[in-house]
Amino acid sequence: MGKVLRINLTEQKAEEYPFSDEERRLFIGGKTMAAKILYDNLKGNETAFSDENMLVVTTGPLTGSGAPSSSRFNISTLSPQTGYITSSNCGGKFGYYLKRAGLDGLILQGHFETPHWIEIKKDKVLFHEAGELWGMKTSETQEYLDEKLKLPNGRLQKNGKICIGPAGEHQVLYSCIISNERVSGRGGTGAVMGWMNLKAVVASGNQEVKVMEKEKMVKHTQKWFRYLKSHPLTGNQLPRFGTAGLVSAMQMRGILATKNYSGGRYEDFEKISGEVLAEKYNIVNKGCLTCPIKCARTVEVEGKPVKGPELETLVLLGSGILNHDLEAVFRWNYELDELGMDTISCANTIAYAMEANEKGIWKNGLEFSSTENLSRLFEEIAYGRGIGKELGQGSRRLSEKYGGKDFAIQVKGMELAAYEPRKAAGMGLGYAVSNRGGCHLNGGYLVILEGLGLSVNPTTYHGKADLTMLFQDLMEMISATGQCLFTSYAFFPSPLLKHPNSWYTKLANLVLPHCGPVVRLINKYPEIACFHLPVFHHTKAFEYVTGMKMTFGTYIRCGERGYNLERELNRRFGVDASRDVLPKRLVAELQDPDSPDSKVPLKKMKKIYYQARGWDRNGLPPEKLLKKLKIG
Amino acid sequence: MIQVHIYGVARLKAGVGSFETNVQTLEELKGILPGITRKEADDLVVFVNEKAVKKHYRFQDGDQVSFLAPAGGG
Repeated sequence: MGKVLRINLTEQKAEEYPFSDEERRLFIGGKTMAAKILYDNLKGNETAFSDENMLVVTTGPLTGSGAPSSSRFNISTLSPQTGYITSSNCGGKFGYYLKRAGLDGLILQGHFETPHWIEIKKDKVLFHEAGELWGMKTSETQEYLDEKLKLPNGRLQKNGKICIGPAGEHQVLYSCIISNERVSGRGGTGAVMGWMNLKAVVASGNQEVKVMEKEKMVKHTQKWFRYLKSHPLTGNQLPRFGTAGLVSAMQMRGILATKNYSGGRYEDFEKISGEVLAEKYNIVNKGCLTCPIKCARTVEVEGKPVKGPELETLVLLGSGILNHDLEAVFRWNYELDELGMDTISCANTIAYAMEANEKGIWKNGLEFSSTENLSRLFEEIAYGRGIGKELGQGSRRLSEKYGGKDFAIQVKGMELAAYEPRKAAGMGLGYAVSNRGGCHLNGGYLVILEGLGLSVNPTTYHGKADLTMLFQDLMEMISATGQCLFTSYAFFPSPLLKHPNSWYTKLANLVLPHCGPVVRLINKYPEIACFHLPVFHHTKAFEYVTGMKMTFGTYIRCGERGYNLERELNRRFGVDASRDVLPKRLVAELQDPDSPDSKVPLKKMKKIYYQARGWDRNGLPPEKLLKKLKIG
Repeated sequence: MIQVHIYGVARLKAGVGSFETNVQTLEELKGILPGITRKEADDLVVFVNEKAVKKHYRFQDGDQVSFLAPAGGG
């Protein structure tokens, strides 16, 4: 087991942070471990940009264990964008090397007087001046650090890095942290790092990651790899098209966010589709360490091979602003990564500004379809110049200043992902109740049942609340263990996805909205699910790596504990039912005037969701539940 | 005449993204998809003018027909 290290940047001192075996058993790792650390240290009167806030970087027990897609790490902090806790699960190599340095977690607190970067080498922490680095973009920063870390024989010292770009330095509220080409994107973690005057952290080491039952784990991992490779989503669609492969399916289902979510279909969708990306532009698929899925694309920007855009970027800088120039999206995606900004929040804030301009409530010169100056605008946002200074505040704050709250597409201050929820009601609920704000993944990603993977009635409210809870808890735990959430897609048995028109898939689509009571039963009595599911390899892997007993029921219970812990932590910062809301456009305006159900029935679903979770009417976990979950 | 579009992994098998034809029914169309067997065609989801349709659907002139397989990730 690795240590948790607390680094006081102000005093430039590092010490071990006590995290007991019992706490590890209950709070596992990743975002749940981070939430526990924040829970034990934040009282509710702190602000994001203060010495009391913490940037907590954690790995999970499976990080570096050889399990599929297990190089992940998590970053949690009090978000400057939302004012609540944010967490971001990221790929790349940093998690693996943090673990190799002997650390399960890193707590960064305080601030440097001048810009610095930190080197963690085995159990040593070195503080370096970063005057030369400050102002550099993210790839230049990482190249500079690699150069600095060259061994005497000229070879590169293997390492993992996190760093910020100019946007983080200027504390843009949705600036992110970059690790190689992967991004800890949401909630403004980069701004917190920038406020700390911390440009980068590099980790290296050669400590072996301990696996309790090595032989069994190797065999299990081989089987798991084979399973993922044979699954229609993780073995076929994602490797071939990446997340971009969803554009066409979203168009057909009417959930492709278009023109600032005023609609769910875009007539030029094919020009920005994953199919065109794959056929004309993709150079090679890439994946994180130990990942068989390899969902990342590589495209060319100005003659240089760079990471291609993910679905969210493609849609929100495509149909979201009525742009069908795919090559422009490649360039913008690259530029935003270089500047260190969340593409989702940035794109949606610009879409809000375009609509505000169109409606005449804020004359800012930005127009849908007119994208010639976007590159310059990104720079202005990152450096806090001109109109960019305002856009860097995000759509919630802008709508409070200029009006247009109905079409500022955000929840708790965080802009929504690319799925237009009026034809995916469960996704709408997920966005509204998600702990970190308008996030599809933390929201439970029910859209996968509502037309993408399966075809459960997308507009009904039946069953959506219970299923949202189940998927939120499942993904919470996958993230806590240090794995990629994409491994959860293999939870759906292959035949259901391979044969969507078969009687059994049709039956599943009909039955799923009615399985709420079963979900609640497992939630209440996890001991009845005292088994391993054949399609869900995570529980056995957890046992082999940690030596701890883990069944499907206890796995869900751990996820539930994590979700409630973040909720309870957010309560200290003012979260209750009044914050679990969607913008009026999505709950009161019909997407399709001929379909009376093409809006999110949030009120109904929210009530059922709170009941399913055992929360009170105000959306808060009662004392009894917290005790049961051993929170507090 | 109808316009047929193939998306996702099915497009790789078909080797074409779209084509025109003048078949009358969905059943007939499934039998003539390039590179895709009838059995494989039965495992695709079908939309006509971006609306899901049943298997005995009869086309009208100008229909836009889309075939795609289930997908996930994002």
